Amino acid sequence: MHSEQEIYGQVRRVLAELFELPPEKIVPTANLYTDLDIDSLDAIDLILELKQITGRKVQPEQFRHVRTVGDVVAAVCELMRDETAA
Amino acid sequence: MGTHWRGMLDRGSRRFGTGLSFVVFGVGGTLLSVTLFPFLRLISPNGAVAQRRIGAAMRRVMGLFIWFMKSLGLLTYELHGLERLARSGQLIVANHPTLIDVVFMVWLTPEAGCVVKRALWRNPALRWPVIWAGYIPNTEGVQLVQDCSRVLESGRSLLVFPEGTRTVPGQPLALKRGAAQVALASGADVLPVTIVCDPPFLTKGSHWYQVPPRRPHFTITVGQPIPRERYGAGVQSHPLVARELTAHLATYFTRNIDAVLNERRDPAHESARDSVRTPIM
Repeated sequence: MHSEQEIYGQVRRVLAELFELPPEKIVPTANLYTDLDIDSLDAIDLILELKQITGRKVQPEQFRHVRTVGDVVAAVCELMRDETAA
Repeated sequence: MGTHWRGMLDRGSRRFGTGLSFVVFGVGGTLLSVTLFPFLRLISPNGAVAQRRIGAAMRRVMGLFIWFMKSLGLLTYELHGLERLARSGQLIVANHPTLIDVVFMVWLTPEAGCVVKRALWRNPALRWPVIWAGYIPNTEGVQLVQDCSRVLESGRSLLVFPEGTRTVPGQPLALKRGAAQVALASGADVLPVTIVCDPPFLTKGSHWYQVPPRRPHFTITVGQPIPRERYGAGVQSHPLVARELTAHLATYFTRNIDAVLNERRDPAHESARDSVRTPIM
């Protein structure tokens, strides 16, 4: 029901809205910090937003190793999978 | 002896004076850190009283140091709008062209915390005075924003250099978003202070002995406060407000620096004083 493609679409939408990023810059390999100019405080806003969308509890630790847009999608997929398994 | 030679002599003595000032600052600061400041801490009944006394002592010491440099003929200065620094609980943001901006600002600002280099916390002499004075180490991210907000919420003002380090000469101002994040988190008014040093002196990447051909003149102008309700009105997301406020401050500083420099080149130019009167948001 939550395909990786759907999640990718949602992450892109959140990034575009939250940080007014041009959609063409939001690609899976884009580094949040260096390519998209997102800082550690922005990352908290991003995590809060993802929490709302997924309806899951999101721990900042789960995002510690996130560097790229692709990593964000993978982390969200992971969250959804955990929930399904539980 | 022509004016050329006099200029050279003047420059040589300013080089000597600058070196002397560095020694005086280093030795004096270390001595005070093991004498006056611990003494003030010891005779104070609690941390809050000690913080006020040590803060007041630091302001005097910084004022004395500026007086010393001025007396040696190393610099001149003019100050505008200082009365606006007196209100408490403001987030005071200044641009950072020279090594001694913090000396000026600590001297001029009554009762304020200050974000300073975290390396000072590893300095055996200076570590305790900065802790007692309630200063904040320039850590990063959430930690820094929380520390700063706590100071502002306690009603104290806080002095921050949003560039994080000195301006790189010849490059556009690069402001970090931390200051704007603090403003948003605390809801404090933002008070911009424009510092201009002309000709450039003690800039980033230069050595202390590279004194400019003419004696440097500091123009420090305190602008109008930007109240919380003025920034980010109608903007949806928190990150966007932080970006907007940061961009506004960068434009504000750049415009004011140019205005002051223009006025100095051509005294008929009166835009400098006018532009700081104009609210930026």
